[in-house]
Amino acid sequence: MSAQSSLRPWFEAYLAAFNRADFPTFGACYADEVVFHGQAAQLVGREAVLDFYRKVRTYLDERVDLLTFVGAPDGSRIAAELRTTLVAFQDWADMPTGPMRAGDRRQSVNFAFYEIADGAFTRIRTARFSPQPGSRA
Amino acid sequence: MTPEARFRAYLDAFNNSDWDALRACYAPDIRLVIGNGTELVGREAIVDFYSKVKQQTRRTIELIQCFADGNVLAAEIESEFLALEDAPDFAARPMTRGDRYYLNSFVFYEFEGEQYTRIRAAVFRREFKPLAAPRTA
Repeated sequence: MSAQSSLRPWFEAYLAAFNRADFPTFGACYADEVVFHGQAAQLVGREAVLDFYRKVRTYLDERVDLLTFVGAPDGSRIAAELRTTLVAFQDWADMPTGPMRAGDRRQSVNFAFYEIADGAFTRIRTARFSPQPGSRA
Repeated sequence: MTPEARFRAYLDAFNNSDWDALRACYAPDIRLVIGNGTELVGREAIVDFYSKVKQQTRRTIELIQCFADGNVLAAEIESEFLALEDAPDFAARPMTRGDRYYLNSFVFYEFEGEQYTRIRAAVFRREFKPLAAPRTA
């Protein structure tokens, strides 16, 4: 299997672990000093990222679905279109991307670029995709 | 020509305002969602839009990275807009002559053969520099 073709199953396994809140498994995909530019946080280091997601999971369920996948031929990068669905089970007034109340559901589509070295993400950056109403996402 | 080489040629055509070359890159029914969410449908709508942008600003696009997988190319691009005239209705934000605006964007280009069929952009970073202010980032 080429570096490019092995990326997608590896990335899908990462997302599956993320969605079932399997912290040891998806945490192993982050390099020690991973740089994370997410919509809700700017973080450095695996433990900082995991701490952030542990906090998130005390307020809400988060599911990420893969819509588009582009792997670099040399296996060093991934670009992905991701749909994130958040469902709050507890009020979170100071949620970084806007307050949520228990029962609220929020969905967004983001384009994410991942840089990879030695089988782990070294940098993750996301950008919000914002089609106008009526556009085809 | 590889998808990456074709993309570089496409950016060259864009930076040189070679509209005929750009038209040839687009499928007739192409759909393009720019960073602010506006969707343009059809190659003439796209060329008309960029023609107006280039009347108001000098826009240059620098390729940061790109890679293709299947029929999708992912690109990170950096655009600079230099206002050539006052442009209160400029798509990104009102501009005054001499202002500069920078966008760092993640873009997916879907293609069939040698033509793009769907392009979608999301803005990762934006920076506005008023008249004559030096760029810092």
